[in-house]
Amino acid sequence: MAQCVQSVQEFIQDSFVPMVAVLCSEDAEKVTRKNNLNFSELLRPFCRLTSEGHMRDPSNQLQVVKNLRISVNNVVTRPTVPSSGVPGHAHRRLLSEVVLTCQPAEGGVANVITAGDYDLNISATTPWFEAYRESFLQSMPASDHEFLNHYLACLLVVSSSEAVPVEKFLKLSQEQHRIQHSGEYTNPKWFIPNTLKYYVLLHDMSQGDEQRADSVYEDMKQRYGAQGCYLLKVNSRTAAAGADEQIPDPWSQYLHKSSLQSQVQLGPRLSVPSIYLLMYRTSEVDGHDSEEKGDLDNTHPLQLDTPSDTPGSLDALRAVAVETKPPPLATGVAAATSHGACLTLNDHDRIRLFIQEFTFRGLLPHIEKNIRQLNDQLVSRKGLSRSLFSATKKWFGGGKVPEKSIAELKNTSGLLYPPEAPELQIRKMADLCFLVQLYDLAYSCYHTAKKDFLSDQAMLYAAGALEMAAVSAFLQVGAPRPYPAHYMDTAIQTYRDVSKNMVLAERCALLSAEVLKSQAKYSDAATLLIKMTSEDSDLRSALLLEQAAHCFINMRNPMVRKFAFHMILAGHRFSKAGQKRHALRCYCQAMQVYKGKGWSLAEDHINFTIGRQSFTLRQPENAVTAFRHILTNDSQQTSTQQGAFLREYLYVYKNVTGACEVALPQLPLPCINSSATRVYFGHERRLAEGEKQAATHVSLDQEFDRDLAAMWQDLEEQVVAAAKRGVVPATFQSTQCCLNSQTDNLRFPLAVVEEPIIVEVVFRNPLKVPLVLSDLSLLWKFTLKDFNRPQEDSVGDAVPISNEKEASVPRARLKLLPHQTGQLNILGLVYNLASTSSTGDTINTAEGTSVRGRQDLEIQGPRLNQTKEEKTSVSHGPDRRLDPTITPPMPLLEVFFLQFPTALLCGEIRKAYVEFCNMSRVTLCGLRVASTHPDFFTFGSSSLATPLTPLSPTSFENCSAYKTLATPPGATPGSVAAVTLVSEGDFGSGTGLRGGGIPLGEGTLKPGESTQLPMWLRGPDQEGVHEIHFLFYYESAEKGGKISHRVLRHTVFICASRSLSVRATACRSNTLPEEEEEEEEERNGSMLVFVDVENINSSEAGVREFHIAQVSSSSKQWRLHKCINPAEDKGLSLSAASQKGLQIAAEKYTFADLSLGNELIITSTTPCADFFFRRCQPLDSLRPPVAMETQGRHSRSQGVGHGGGDKDIAGVVRKCNEVDLDIIILWKAFVVEDNKQVILEGQLHVALQTIDKEACSLTQKEEAQEMVLLKFKPELPPPMTRPSMEQLSHLIKTNLQYPESYSHPFNQKSLCMVPVTLTLSNCSLAQVDVIIDLRHKTTSPESLEVHGSFTWLGQTQFKMQLGAQEVMRVQLRACFLHAGVYNLGTPRVFAKLADQGAMCETSQQTATPALIIIINST
Amino acid sequence: MHQVRLQIKGSDVARYSYSIHMQISAVLQSWSKPKNYPLFIRSVPIQNELKFHYTVHTSLDVVEEKISAVGKAMADQRELYLGLLYPTEDYKVYGYVTNSKVKFVIVVDSSNTSLRDNEIRSMFRKLHNSFTDVMCNPFYNPGDTIQSKAFDSIVSAMMVQAS
Repeated sequence: MAQCVQSVQEFIQDSFVPMVAVLCSEDAEKVTRKNNLNFSELLRPFCRLTSEGHMRDPSNQLQVVKNLRISVNNVVTRPTVPSSGVPGHAHRRLLSEVVLTCQPAEGGVANVITAGDYDLNISATTPWFEAYRESFLQSMPASDHEFLNHYLACLLVVSSSEAVPVEKFLKLSQEQHRIQHSGEYTNPKWFIPNTLKYYVLLHDMSQGDEQRADSVYEDMKQRYGAQGCYLLKVNSRTAAAGADEQIPDPWSQYLHKSSLQSQVQLGPRLSVPSIYLLMYRTSEVDGHDSEEKGDLDNTHPLQLDTPSDTPGSLDALRAVAVETKPPPLATGVAAATSHGACLTLNDHDRIRLFIQEFTFRGLLPHIEKNIRQLNDQLVSRKGLSRSLFSATKKWFGGGKVPEKSIAELKNTSGLLYPPEAPELQIRKMADLCFLVQLYDLAYSCYHTAKKDFLSDQAMLYAAGALEMAAVSAFLQVGAPRPYPAHYMDTAIQTYRDVSKNMVLAERCALLSAEVLKSQAKYSDAATLLIKMTSEDSDLRSALLLEQAAHCFINMRNPMVRKFAFHMILAGHRFSKAGQKRHALRCYCQAMQVYKGKGWSLAEDHINFTIGRQSFTLRQPENAVTAFRHILTNDSQQTSTQQGAFLREYLYVYKNVTGACEVALPQLPLPCINSSATRVYFGHERRLAEGEKQAATHVSLDQEFDRDLAAMWQDLEEQVVAAAKRGVVPATFQSTQCCLNSQTDNLRFPLAVVEEPIIVEVVFRNPLKVPLVLSDLSLLWKFTLKDFNRPQEDSVGDAVPISNEKEASVPRARLKLLPHQTGQLNILGLVYNLASTSSTGDTINTAEGTSVRGRQDLEIQGPRLNQTKEEKTSVSHGPDRRLDPTITPPMPLLEVFFLQFPTALLCGEIRKAYVEFCNMSRVTLCGLRVASTHPDFFTFGSSSLATPLTPLSPTSFENCSAYKTLATPPGATPGSVAAVTLVSEGDFGSGTGLRGGGIPLGEGTLKPGESTQLPMWLRGPDQEGVHEIHFLFYYESAEKGGKISHRVLRHTVFICASRSLSVRATACRSNTLPEEEEEEEEERNGSMLVFVDVENINSSEAGVREFHIAQVSSSSKQWRLHKCINPAEDKGLSLSAASQKGLQIAAEKYTFADLSLGNELIITSTTPCADFFFRRCQPLDSLRPPVAMETQGRHSRSQGVGHGGGDKDIAGVVRKCNEVDLDIIILWKAFVVEDNKQVILEGQLHVALQTIDKEACSLTQKEEAQEMVLLKFKPELPPPMTRPSMEQLSHLIKTNLQYPESYSHPFNQKSLCMVPVTLTLSNCSLAQVDVIIDLRHKTTSPESLEVHGSFTWLGQTQFKMQLGAQEVMRVQLRACFLHAGVYNLGTPRVFAKLADQGAMCETSQQTATPALIIIINST
Repeated sequence: MHQVRLQIKGSDVARYSYSIHMQISAVLQSWSKPKNYPLFIRSVPIQNELKFHYTVHTSLDVVEEKISAVGKAMADQRELYLGLLYPTEDYKVYGYVTNSKVKFVIVVDSSNTSLRDNEIRSMFRKLHNSFTDVMCNPFYNPGDTIQSKAFDSIVSAMMVQAS
């Protein structure tokens, strides 16, 4: 139970006070009426006696009566509460009204109770409960079984203005007698037959003659004795005087608070409270008149309502009350507020004095006398009756009567004692004693009475006696005996179960609970209170449950959860009783316990109820907050429940926003996954326009890929480096078009004016019911900023930014279009939220309520983890994704591709067109491109190709991508190789292919301008799907902007299918060119190249056949000379000649074209040469240094200068085996495509590096991989300290020169001598020691058989030294004995490097069989 | 853990409800989780679940009272089974507290006469055993809501058995 203002003793004392009735003459009534009061009201504030009274108890001891209060009431002859114990509607409404008007003060002091880990904020006092209790007790009906609220005395009031006051007194006295004794009225009840009559002469000072009043009073004294009458002078204040005098209004607290209850208590005689004053004005006036005449059939004002008193009418009533408060009621309100207008402070004192006089001179002696009288009666009867009673009981009842159970006694509950029964006399005496605070005596009397009643089975009486016995036992000074709680329990049980009198039971429970509370027996009090809750009265149940809850929390070990639970029960009952405000308060207090403890169902329930109650109480903000809790929690409710919650929330929310539209409130739904927000700068990607295919660039549809992002950044870095002449500026930041959670968002992103900003927001619906969002738009803030440039387009402060919705939940894309430069902050989202109609799946937003609200976008940056402090604490960096800076206009490039293929054969050359458009209003320049596959495409070289290529794609039809030249008709194909000399630098590859510039007409693109460029593509050498990325880089022509450059990305997928496989081998040619003029120069410089071409195309592509159109070579040293057997299908043998003379121009490449068809393709121009160079480049640049060493392409120059060392030998030896020749195979494929034959062209490259080693067009990649592996062994020892045998066997090239056939007349001369020249040429650049051994190998019998028939003549062993590339001829002679065919190739040549003494000579590669025919000429 | 059976006006529908509460013992007070939050609640049928939640939550007061009533020294030898916590009009609420202060509550329909003290006691013991199994699971994070299937099935079996 909550704390009360009054102490228990005060409370109980005030609950039972002596009652005094008032009978008032009409004139007297008029006198008091001036003050807007009737007589009893006039007295009420002064009814508490401040001084002590004295009286003697029956044993003649003086007792002090302290702090006595009396209750003065008008005589009401109608029963207010039916005696059945069920309170009437009017009574109920009164109580409900009392509770309703008593609300906790707003922001009142609430104390914090800490229980366990709960901190509860609870108001300690419950004034509404006290008000309820007070009015409840005061409105207790007088009943027969007790006398406590029976009238003890009657005040007869007559005005001095009456013509004959004494007569009037007589009349009133008679009326009182009639009321009490005629038996016509059951109400009011009177305590004692001879009621004390006290005669009061009321004198109006302002009107009457004071002298006359005095004389009448003297007369009265004569008649009634000085003790029995009084002259009360009031209204001494004149209207004029009183204007400025401030008189306290003691009536206000009595009358205002309890205006209604007095109405019920006192009936129509009292001035009715303001509200009813108006409503029932006519009936009231009537009532007054009739009442004065004693007409008892007068209608009670509240009675009028009774027929229509349905449960709902309470609200209606209140509504009326609220409505009628304003001015129209001024009369009523004014009347009610200004009480005692004609009374001065002197008058107040007079009234006070009067009460004191009355009590001490009249009432207390009267009571004392009666007690004494009763006591005498009882004592005289006691000896006899007691013994008689008990004796008869013993004799007849067998002494077991009192132990009978209550159930058995039920039938006797109706027992009624006659008013003069001796048992009732005891009770009467007890009550009297109790009223004047003689608690000892009262207790013993109650105790005696209880025994008597119980023995008589008069349960109602017994219960009353028990109740009062317990109370008086408690009130005894010094508490000689413990409080008999069981008395109370029995009493309550009896009242409730036997007598069915809930009012009495409730009174008893209230008293008992208060007493228990004062003894800190909270648990018992709570049990008692909870027991009293029942279905019949929601208000009572609610109040008692609330008190029980307070009991739980006030226990020594606070039972927080029980408190909360009972608070909820109380709140429920309050809401049923229509006390919404109290219900809300209860739920709110309980919420403190349930909040955040994981009891989600309970929490939801409470929140929901709070939301509802708040809404009905017009506190929609609170309602919205409460509902928000339900919806944001990860609710465990079912979907239907959630749907209900949502609908309710939306409905409430709508009403809130309807009320105040200024600031849009935050919506809890749906959840925004703010970290997943993506921001995209720039226009949306345009899709293909007809033939044109736009650059893919970046779009929001792409998922973020870390590897890809790194790749793009790498590309950008390269292209920037290329643009800035090889240096990447320190401030370089890669362009980010799409910001998401994984990108670096520490800087303010830059956005360009007039280019849209697209924000993608990701939603999550935590509920199980669908939500409908509509009219999404962004909330933003814009700060204008000047970038040292006058603002031409002064739009004003209002910067129009368009918003548009793009996608539905769960992602929404919203677009902003900035029109001015400045700083933009995107703050949040505004949208309409609606729930779907629950019927069916059709989304019907029009029907459901939709509300508009906002949600802020707050993105938490990444967790900082750099410094120690950051590591130890959790701090997050900023995330500036949503705060773009709007910069001045920048050029905007769009790239379109025309005729861009998706599938190519490996090595296929295709021509496509690229269109560059400048979409902005700023000139664009410095266009560059970088790609992950630079060998895939070329724009051609600016100097050579541009004039020759057809400028528009339409003229391209069926034309070859190559520049061709018709071969002279007479020439046989493949006979002569055309030779061109080309420098690598011409193809623009010197600066590095990555990030190469794009040849634009004037180097700039004007605003709105577009230009088309041809572009050659070559199918990748590896089959499969290739992902090729392009990065276009461009700058603004106006320098100094915040953005230094912009980029455009493009990704294509090319599917490469297999075409041809080319394998080529270079062999040293042993034959010396015979008839050429440059014999001297090219003597040892010829080589045979074997090219094998295989069609490895799988047939599905529709390729019918491949034609080898041309074979070209490209080398710094070699060129293709002629085709040796062009007719053969399988392979080509080509001879190559060394270009020794060109050694000076080492950086130049010689292109030698050997056409096999009737068209000569000039390979030294775009695109063929481009691709050739591009193919070389990446290989070189990708290879690690070690690989470069072994590669040998560039090692020539290094190798020469060094002398000595093993490494040198290897180099020298290797070099003589090296060829540096690239073969370019140009082919044509006939492909059937859509029933049309299409000729595709292509080129394949084979790089020949070593003699006799087969090189293949397809294996390059594998080689490269092997080389890459070396990267991981940086400390690799120098490769091959000793050249292998095989390599060493290539040092010397031998050649035999002899006549093919030789006629010799064997008849004439048996020996045939043939001169043979053996030519030795040193292939290396070092001195070589050579040993020639002509002896036939004897160990090989086979060779003897074949060749044995000839012999070398002369010196058979030579030893010589050959200088670098020196050619030496040795003249030999062979001797034949018979005619026939002989193999001359028997000389064995051994060679070793001259300065390597330790090495033994290695056998050189033997020459091919050299056959000679010896003919017998005879 | 609590189990409830109640009769609805004539029709013989049985209701059960089980729940488990955990209180972090004083040693582990540094945990940020709130005390006395539900680990596992099960009720059959689910129509009136809210009411049972309230009942179980309120019963924690009584459990705490009973625990604190036992002296510190006696705490070790204390009987885990707390017996009938309190009777309401319709239900009987039984309590059980493990040594680690995990609370089990069973709410039974008061008209169910087949469940006497012994049965309830054995149910608690069974419950405790299976709860121990749950705690032994290395993947179970103490303090999390119990989502073990084994535990769930044992509880269900008990509810069916007791019906």
